[in-house]
Amino acid sequence: MNDPINVLTLFLFNIVLVNIPLLYGTVGEIVVEKSGSLDLGVEGTMAIGAIFGYLAGCVANSLAVGLLVSFLAAGLCGLLFAVLTVSLQANQNVTGLTITTFGLGLYFFVGKGLGERWPAMTGAGSLVKGFSALEIPGLSKLPVIGKALFSHNLLVYLGIVIAVLVWWYLNFTKTGLRLRAVGENPGAADSVGVNTLMYKYIHLIGGSGIMGLGGFYMALYMSGSFEGSNCWINGYGWIAIALVIFANWNPVLAILGTLVFGFFNTLQIYAGSLAGAFPGSLGWLNTVPAQLYKALPFLITAIVLIASSIRRREGSGQPAALGLNYFREER
Amino acid sequence: MKNRQPLFHVVKRDHAGPGRQAAAYVAAVVLALLVGAVLLMVQGVEPVTFYKQLLTMGIPGSRYPWRSVENFIKLFVPLLITSMALALAFKMRFWNIGGEGQFIMGAFWAGFAAMKLGGTLPQPLMVVVMALCGALGGGLYGVFVAALKVKWGTNETLLTLMLNYVALYFLQYFAETKTDWNFFLDPDSARPKFAKFPANAQMITIPIGPFNLNLSLVIAAVLCVLLYIYLNYTKRGYEIAVVGDSPNTARYAGMKVGKIVIRTIFLSAALIGLAGAFQVSSAGILSTSVTNDVGWTGVVVAWLAKLNMVGIVVASLLITVLQFGCQTASTTYPSIDANFANLLQGVILFIVLAADFFTRFRLARTRKEAAK
Amino acid sequence: MEERYAIEMRGICKSFGSVAANKNVNLNVKPGEILALLGENGSGKTTLMNMLSGIYKPDSGSILLNGQEVAINSPEDAKRLGIGMVHQHFKLVDVFSAADNIWLGDDKSGAVLKKDRYNTIGEMAKKFGFDIDPRKKVYNMAVSEKQTLEIVKVLYYGAKIIILDEPTAVLTVQETAKLFDVLRRMKGSGHAIIIITHKLNEVLEISDRVAILRKGEYICTVDTSSTGEQQLTEYMVGRKVELNIDRPVVEKTRPLLEIRDLTIRNDEGAVAIDRVNFYIRGGEILGVAGIAGCGQKELCEAIAGLRPIESGMMIHKGDNIVGLSPKSILEKGISMSFIPEDRLGMGLAPSMSVTDNMLLKKYDQSKGPFVDRKTGRAEAQQVIDELEIVTPSTETPVRRLSGGNVQKVLLGREIKAGPNVIVTAYPVRGLDINSSYAIYDILNKQKKDGVGILFVGEDLDVMIDLCDKIMVLCHGRVMGVVHAHKTSKEELGLMMTGALDLTNKYEDKPAGIARDSRIEESEEVEE
Repeated sequence: MNDPINVLTLFLFNIVLVNIPLLYGTVGEIVVEKSGSLDLGVEGTMAIGAIFGYLAGCVANSLAVGLLVSFLAAGLCGLLFAVLTVSLQANQNVTGLTITTFGLGLYFFVGKGLGERWPAMTGAGSLVKGFSALEIPGLSKLPVIGKALFSHNLLVYLGIVIAVLVWWYLNFTKTGLRLRAVGENPGAADSVGVNTLMYKYIHLIGGSGIMGLGGFYMALYMSGSFEGSNCWINGYGWIAIALVIFANWNPVLAILGTLVFGFFNTLQIYAGSLAGAFPGSLGWLNTVPAQLYKALPFLITAIVLIASSIRRREGSGQPAALGLNYFREER
Repeated sequence: MKNRQPLFHVVKRDHAGPGRQAAAYVAAVVLALLVGAVLLMVQGVEPVTFYKQLLTMGIPGSRYPWRSVENFIKLFVPLLITSMALALAFKMRFWNIGGEGQFIMGAFWAGFAAMKLGGTLPQPLMVVVMALCGALGGGLYGVFVAALKVKWGTNETLLTLMLNYVALYFLQYFAETKTDWNFFLDPDSARPKFAKFPANAQMITIPIGPFNLNLSLVIAAVLCVLLYIYLNYTKRGYEIAVVGDSPNTARYAGMKVGKIVIRTIFLSAALIGLAGAFQVSSAGILSTSVTNDVGWTGVVVAWLAKLNMVGIVVASLLITVLQFGCQTASTTYPSIDANFANLLQGVILFIVLAADFFTRFRLARTRKEAAK
Repeated sequence: MEERYAIEMRGICKSFGSVAANKNVNLNVKPGEILALLGENGSGKTTLMNMLSGIYKPDSGSILLNGQEVAINSPEDAKRLGIGMVHQHFKLVDVFSAADNIWLGDDKSGAVLKKDRYNTIGEMAKKFGFDIDPRKKVYNMAVSEKQTLEIVKVLYYGAKIIILDEPTAVLTVQETAKLFDVLRRMKGSGHAIIIITHKLNEVLEISDRVAILRKGEYICTVDTSSTGEQQLTEYMVGRKVELNIDRPVVEKTRPLLEIRDLTIRNDEGAVAIDRVNFYIRGGEILGVAGIAGCGQKELCEAIAGLRPIESGMMIHKGDNIVGLSPKSILEKGISMSFIPEDRLGMGLAPSMSVTDNMLLKKYDQSKGPFVDRKTGRAEAQQVIDELEIVTPSTETPVRRLSGGNVQKVLLGREIKAGPNVIVTAYPVRGLDINSSYAIYDILNKQKKDGVGILFVGEDLDVMIDLCDKIMVLCHGRVMGVVHAHKTSKEELGLMMTGALDLTNKYEDKPAGIARDSRIEESEEVEE
């Protein structure tokens, strides 16, 4: 039971399994922020994507439907943000926070409201199947990392694929170049004929959609059981905002960041078992408070924020026009 | 050649008539109630009775009406103070999203004082000490972000956001670590549980007949008045107004903008810490959910009230009615979550944000240019 | 055979509200030609060019491209038609490389960014005769490199008509020479070039023809080879317009403010004011004339204590005010008023009432923690009455007032403080005739009370009438201080463009140094 290799393997396995939704949230928010919008509504957006995706997936008994609906529902949140901040020039911070409270409110409303009629995930075979572990032929047989890295469910790999695709999109396509220009200097983009409005809208919707997929993942991870007091998302939306900074607005670094944060996140649960399995080297793990692990993502990000504001910003991926509403005014 | 110019284009408005703004608010509330009504009906709940329950907050016909009022006040006071404090910061265009963290730190240090000194000091003095500890705790937690922003331009939105979670986990540590030195915890309980504060470390209540008036309400009211006077009549308030309006003008007038920002944010964070101290002394015990999301709701209230002190009193009253009302109404209707208030709140704010556009800007018809 | 013009503008009119920026302007440029567009500030040059680049649409008139009438509704239209504009303020993304800034607007290449885009851009640039490093990031570039990038950008998009807006404003002499080589090369390959400028020497050096605008109106187009500085200046400033502005004769005092050897750097680190000497007497209006960017802004801010200086002396009635903050200047009892060019962005708090703005500099003087609004309101009412300010009440937010009234509030406040020196920059910019005259009257009244006034202005007609003396700055140096009633617009114009230097007109009396200076013996110029 306390077999060290087993414990280690499970630990590594869970780092990935539990924390992949962070990757979705982070990549989605990177897309949004690269277009110049600071969307604080990630938590609410993910919740909306989660619950509607889950319900649709159960009703249609299809993983694909679940993914699609979660993308669209979350995308609607992005659309709302876009209408309010891009067209109607509302304050981005207030709008984002409101989307979070509203989104969570809607989440609980729907969940509580369904009450007895809440569909159990066991009834939706294809969802269960979709979330079950895939054994990648050959690789999954490797010791330790075989289970840890190559025996995950489809959505884990989808998340990584999306992260890489977004990275490629941002850095190697012309549309991605234009998007980055919109986030850095909307005036410059405008002057060469880039439709800044359209870019902001589309990427707010798309980025939010990606966040929604992460929410859907969490729904499945929680086996679709609805708790009245705690949302599935459980603060991951806020961590994602931190991760964007930590990953320097780079989706591939976000994968790394997810693993790092995941490491500390999972460590607090596994500290006991690891200390037990490796008493000599890891015994001290028991002494570190669990809350420090939980606080670590935010502490590190705070330090990164402060440090990068002291240095010059050339190395930073932070879009220069982040959080500023763009208004092309006539004389 | 096709004329691709849009039919209308957006032009900034000179000023917004108050009538127009008031109309927007009324419309927002009405629309929110309508949307809410639709949602209620979907759940099979009759909207009118629900809303009646909500607005009366279950007080008439209740067995302990005064208790309800007292609980209402316990919800209202922290929100009122926090909203005022956030408005203070927002006036300087300093986006203090760290209300939650500053509140927690205030609560924590007040609790610290309570547990350490609770047995030894008389109640009135104890309450003052807790208030001071809370204010200082919250204030320091916020002011250093202001210093960083002034010195290096650090993004205060993101930094205060991160600090919220650091504070939360800091508090959780004391909530969950059962050791000998952790005097916060109840020694009698096997599982970690916060201990109740000693009797004289609790907020003073003034009995008026069957009703216990929580002193913090009185203090909050006084603070309201003081803050109103501070902002509108004192020199410091004048400085805040000028800096918030146009920092260049402030500099031209010889004002030290950095100092003013730091001083004001300290005040803002200290007030929030104070609110935390009030919350915790009224409850008589620490808790990891001590904030009750007031840091977020405060932002909504401050924005709805357009950072205006009088507006904040009204808006926080309205939102508390909404929240408290939903809480009580949802006990009768188990299918409606207490968070229903957040839904209504959200809709109200969305509509106000949208309507705001039409008070700040207007659509002007693009005049057809005659090409001769 | 009629020569086709690359671009032609006929009868162009454009108004903004009641202000006519362009009145019936005609312009044409041939391919393979450089046309200079000459005019003072506010003559309508940039507005006109903005219509070619698609930012504005003309109210009336037509634009012809190669003989065909076209409508340019947006920057994309301009780009498509082959018109490229290099703006004064660059539109570049700092964190992108040179290549990416160009690639941003490329519509022909595929969706995927390929590594070879660097080579493509590099090759293209070479073909046009430019040597740019396509991989270099914009934030690492010098100003002239950025400008080169902007030029390559428009060429890359296939521009045949290129407009440059004050391109040499940010360049050194050597860089300007390089730019001119580039322009000649482009001209050689058949491009039509319009260069907006006010620098006569450059006009004469680089252009084939010159078109002159004055106060929105088109004056004429001449061949460069057949004209000279004198004639161009005449066209630019025009005949003296009789304005009937009062110039009371007042007994003057000893110098109230003396500036010696003052050197100031601007925000970019370049020298804005270069070893300048001048003085202002009480009861005198000293005008400051110069092309935009000649250093007036930095000069005014330095005198007011809002900008540090590099070296030199600023003596107010014997007290050195160098290094003093505005507050300490006030505390020292030195009454100096600065009325900035940016009224609502600097001089006033736009959302606050007239009363509150009255208190801006002395809110701290009342006893106790409270602001004395009663006095403020009374003063506000006084100023409103005295200066005939039109406002619903003393509590109206100042941004709701019209331009003239805003300026009156600003002036009124500064005058109320009873200064003996007033520094005012462009006080009548954007104001209608009546408000302008009201401002002149206010200034004259102050002058009669013995106040010394530094008047930075742009309308030479006004300054010749109103001021007692006029100092002309060019590139931060004093070109001369002349008596207004003895000078002419031509003389001023020539000084403004650096063509005439009168600093040593009188050998025994260098310009800018008073005979009865208050500065100690060693500095005084003996009579």
